[in-house]
Amino acid sequence: MARSEGLPVPGAPLARPATEIDEVDLVPVRTYWQLVRRRFLQHRMAAIALVLMVVLIVSSIAFPLIGGDAWFKTSLTHGPKDPSSLTAPLGYDNLGINIFFRLMRGLQTSLTIGFFAVLIIAGLGTTIGSIAGYVGGWVDNVLMRVVDIVLSLPTFFLVLMFVAFMGSGNVFVIIFAIGLTGWTTAARLVRAEFLRLRESDFVQAAKALGASDRRIVIRHMIPSALAPVVVASTLGIADSVVTEAALSFLGFGLRPPEASLGNMLTNAQDYFYRQPLWIWYPGITLILLVLAASFLGDGLRDALDPRQRIEA
Amino acid sequence: MVRQDDERTLLQIRDLQTHFATADGLVKAVDGVSFSIRNGATLGVVGESGCGKSVTALSVMRLIERPGRIVGGTITFGGKNLIDIPDDEMREIRGNQISMIFQEPMTSLNPVYTCGNQIAEAVSIHGGMSGGEARKRAIEMLSQVGIPDPARRAEEYPHQLSGGMRQRVMIAMALSTNPELLIADEPTTALDVTIQAQILELMKALRERNRMSIMLITHDLGVIAEMADDVVVMYAGKVVEQSDVNTVYEHPHHPYTRGLLASIPRLGEKRNRLEVIKGVVPNPLNLPAGCLFQRRCPSAMPICNVAPPFQEVAPGHLSRCWLTPAGDPPSVGEAPSEQVALDAAAALSAE
Repeated sequence: MARSEGLPVPGAPLARPATEIDEVDLVPVRTYWQLVRRRFLQHRMAAIALVLMVVLIVSSIAFPLIGGDAWFKTSLTHGPKDPSSLTAPLGYDNLGINIFFRLMRGLQTSLTIGFFAVLIIAGLGTTIGSIAGYVGGWVDNVLMRVVDIVLSLPTFFLVLMFVAFMGSGNVFVIIFAIGLTGWTTAARLVRAEFLRLRESDFVQAAKALGASDRRIVIRHMIPSALAPVVVASTLGIADSVVTEAALSFLGFGLRPPEASLGNMLTNAQDYFYRQPLWIWYPGITLILLVLAASFLGDGLRDALDPRQRIEA
Repeated sequence: MVRQDDERTLLQIRDLQTHFATADGLVKAVDGVSFSIRNGATLGVVGESGCGKSVTALSVMRLIERPGRIVGGTITFGGKNLIDIPDDEMREIRGNQISMIFQEPMTSLNPVYTCGNQIAEAVSIHGGMSGGEARKRAIEMLSQVGIPDPARRAEEYPHQLSGGMRQRVMIAMALSTNPELLIADEPTTALDVTIQAQILELMKALRERNRMSIMLITHDLGVIAEMADDVVVMYAGKVVEQSDVNTVYEHPHHPYTRGLLASIPRLGEKRNRLEVIKGVVPNPLNLPAGCLFQRRCPSAMPICNVAPPFQEVAPGHLSRCWLTPAGDPPSVGEAPSEQVALDAAAALSAE
């Protein structure tokens, strides 16, 4: 057993000489984030998903920039019969539009909707959940009953109605519709964390230091309550992307010439027998995106859980 | 010793009542507690689990959470009654003039921030210091509590420190604002014995250096003997004995205090069994009438069915027991009235 602290000698100064070797020095010191990274990378699927996600995001930004207006420019000289080439790896569609660039633009739209919807979900969920969990009492009761009501509604039809009334074809309306119906899970998670944290010793200690409620919530509780929200949000990206695709597929989402994975699927429907590959392109992209988000979420859940200790 | 209204009194609690309205009924966790803490002195509050020690401390900090509530009494500190002042004012006192350290150093630090960061926060809440100054103060405090290489330790997270180190960080946090009163709720219970000794030494040294008072809550009579000037013994939400530390150890009056002292094993003593106080603490939802200790008391008498007064048995030595200052049963004449004593006896025999 290593001696961790020297015994006090009467009359000696309180501070020990700095030369004394401490046992903590012998243990490699890792911060929380180093541990998180290590645990995340040990989750193989999550690591693959991360790479995939990065590839999808980078291409959704890069290719629309390279392609310029290729994603909506029709052409009379190109058509479905053209062989794939370097400039049009997936060929041209019935209007002579470059499918690859259209696909990348659609991916960009889907990712944008996914990220911003999730931002609303996380923001709204964290705010409502932390108020409910911290204040407690009747406030908690009212907010949680609201959550129950929203949860009991069929979300997709709610989104559909919202979009139908507020104007279909508008990206912001779609983002808001998904965001305003999807915050309930995040709110519940944050509330649960807050109920636990409220009783925790360090929150009590912060109160004893004279910290204000605002400081306790923002500085001491939200950072600790955020891990499940990050996980739920990552998984929420997949949900939002699918919801958008479904909306567009039903004709309530983005309409051509705007490109989204959903309306590309709708368009491909008409050419199902003649051009079966057209349905695969957006379909597979959508699947990859959803899988990447899901595995990323799983990996983060395992990595952010401080109770899990993976020995390196 | 514990004279009332002494001008050297820092904190005075009078008839404090903190009750918890639970689903099963009203729990009087603290029921009429009075004591005071002198400037620069250490008051030890002793008692077994659930006797109201911690609730008393939290009442002073006004950190009682629902369903608990301070329902009566006064807590006078700096000329103000802490029970009446607005929340903002109380927050200014908390952590600034009265600091508190808790039992569990393992969980009382926020795992998300570095130690230096947390001490700096404590300073900046009250001090209005800039970030850089607060950091400097944090490192200075770490070295004051005897943490080697404080600049590096300030950058470390709580999980990287041992229990003793964390308790030192907690003490550094609590003392960073130079409080007048430090409330230490079982500060050494979670630590092993050698570290305990170090932490107690440290607290003593810092008390001298900062000229502050300490309210030390513990169930460890050894810690009290080491640290305290005055002692308050609590039982089932009431103070049962109160005096200076030597009197309590050498001439304990209340049978409960005597029982506590008798149950300490002594070095070099051959004995198969440790002395115990028979029975268990009464259910706080269903307290017996009269003296709360009577069912466990070796000197219980009929009169104990009447609540005994908290009276002086020697100058500065108060005890809540019917026994005479010499420790003998009182003659009937001393009872409130013969009828009461007879009723009490009848009730006891009927039981």
